[in-house]
Amino acid sequence: MKSVFLLQWQRFRRAPILVLAMFLLTVVFVFFIAGIHSTNQLTVYTYSHESLGEEERDAWLDMLNESDVFHFEWMEESEARNAVATGEVSLALQLMEEDYRILLAAEEQTRYIVDNYVNQVFMEELRLREIENSGVGIDFRSDVTQAMEEPVLTVTSSSIEGVDGSFIHDERLQVLFGMTLFFVIYTILFSLMNVAEEKKWGTWNRLIVSPLRKWEVYLGHLLYCFMIGYAQIIVVFLLFQQVLGFDLGNRYGTMLVIIGCYTFAIVSLGMLLIGLVRTSQQLQAIIPIVATAIAMLGGAFWPIEIVTNDIMLLLSKGMPIFYAMDTLKGAAIYDYSVLDMVTPLSFMVLFGVVCMGVGINLMERR
Amino acid sequence: MLETEELRKIFKGKTAVDGVNLYMDKGESIGLLGPNGAGKSTTISMISSLVKPTSGDVRLHGRSIIKDPTNMRQVLGVVPQEIALYEELTAYENLKFFGRIYGLRGKLLESKVQEVIELVGLKDRQKEVVTTYSGGMKRRVNMAAAMLHEPEILIMDEPTVGIDPQSRSHILETVRELNQKKGLAVLYTSHYMEEVERLCDRVYIMDHGRVIASGTKEELKSILSGEETILIDLDRQHPKLFKELEGNKSILQALETEKGLKLIVPKGSRLLGTVFQIAERHHAQILNVNVQIPTLEDVFLHLTGRKLRD
Repeated sequence: MKSVFLLQWQRFRRAPILVLAMFLLTVVFVFFIAGIHSTNQLTVYTYSHESLGEEERDAWLDMLNESDVFHFEWMEESEARNAVATGEVSLALQLMEEDYRILLAAEEQTRYIVDNYVNQVFMEELRLREIENSGVGIDFRSDVTQAMEEPVLTVTSSSIEGVDGSFIHDERLQVLFGMTLFFVIYTILFSLMNVAEEKKWGTWNRLIVSPLRKWEVYLGHLLYCFMIGYAQIIVVFLLFQQVLGFDLGNRYGTMLVIIGCYTFAIVSLGMLLIGLVRTSQQLQAIIPIVATAIAMLGGAFWPIEIVTNDIMLLLSKGMPIFYAMDTLKGAAIYDYSVLDMVTPLSFMVLFGVVCMGVGINLMERR
Repeated sequence: MLETEELRKIFKGKTAVDGVNLYMDKGESIGLLGPNGAGKSTTISMISSLVKPTSGDVRLHGRSIIKDPTNMRQVLGVVPQEIALYEELTAYENLKFFGRIYGLRGKLLESKVQEVIELVGLKDRQKEVVTTYSGGMKRRVNMAAAMLHEPEILIMDEPTVGIDPQSRSHILETVRELNQKKGLAVLYTSHYMEEVERLCDRVYIMDHGRVIASGTKEELKSILSGEETILIDLDRQHPKLFKELEGNKSILQALETEKGLKLIVPKGSRLLGTVFQIAERHHAQILNVNVQIPTLEDVFLHLTGRKLRD
């Protein structure tokens, strides 16, 4: 087993381009999509309807700008419309008297996140105003503020979602986790192509008729692919945490376990694919399809929380990347307990065991 | 030392090997002869424990290797038909790896690598990556990789396919030397008659998955002891002439060759005159006539009605 494992590293040293390319692609994508934002705040160009007075407009802006995630920047309607039309921004917000509109250039994930947040602010404010207008008392608002600052009792609850059904969106971590988990699929699956190629070249048969046990040959390959994938994720995470200051929290042990479970699931998926296809050319053709489908369905490209289609949500539950994203965010943002992580981690391991079993079985039958 | 009993392999309803019985003694050199698709490779795959037979048995020193191939794998060296090497590595690195999987380590591994690399004549180029080698050189490394652990049995599956005459000669000479000087038992499959004639003590002839004849070269040739072969070189191909000769009852077998015709006729049948007359009638110009004793190729033709390379 050790000989086969070491051989893969020797081959990697001779042809490192593929793995290094995937590593660099991850870094470049994460850097340009998330890393260049020096703050976590997303700027939303905002203009107001003529019916809205200046004072009222500023009040709404102040309320909206209480967010850590968004910065609502007021400008003239023509400027905002022009920015959307030229593609400078993907959307702009129009404030109205007791309502709002979102001007969209294209349907994309930010729209749902902005809408979610603005809707929450408007609902809260309008509810307060309604109570004030009902004659409960002029000081009702200050009473509420005071009560919020000095509550009678404090309930601490933790949930996947944020306050009032919203979720905490950290653009930078979403991109870092999503892109890293996406690109590592390529690294692992392309590395696993060694198995398919060994079968094509005949070296596999040479190993089988040697005193090596078959499981040793498999394990040598799988361990190499696991380690190369595992190392890639860790190096990318460390790079962005140490160099660009991404806040990954401090639950490093938990993250290592999550990465391990995910890497195992992807290595196993690779074995299943090798078992299903007949040639390495076929494998090369399906790797991008599988990797992209898994990443799209599993919420690597956008937060799964913004997906509303039931079928898509159901499909996402079958993707290991969904559970990896969930638990990584859980460790970095939501502070999931160990108990919260048991189910998603178990799913990844189960996914891995099933794919590995079926994949090896298919390969052996051929 | 090694024997097979009623070895049979059926792939998806098609019988690839059908009841093959063969044996090999220590230090013996056995040839497995047959055209493409005869079942040679499947037979040696079963013998080398790579493929499980549908039925039958393979025994090494009287013990079945079907259930437990461990002992077989320790003493077996296999030279596959394809170049089974890691082409991005050097010959030296390849051999080191293949030595390691046979449990060789340290100085012993190093000395074995140098020994086999010298044997195949690649000492000066051992540190170059395999992709830079010619086909013949790759084949030599392919063979060297099977000899590192000093196997008792060397199975070679058409090891000289598609290589230059120099490398071919080198490989054949090396195998001959290993067999005669070191007592290595060799099971050699080929559809090149001259290689088998040169290397092997005994020959099994296979066709359509079955062994159709076996014995020493002399024993096999004696099948045709009452015949002789007439090789006729013609100015060009004459299909009508061939057809007429093929239909001639005095001629046992007729075959078109690259240069003209090959006829197997009863010994002393004095058919040359008839052949010349028929050729004259078909306006065929005879360039050369050669009468010779039968070869293994002729035996194969006699047994199957086909050429070895059909």
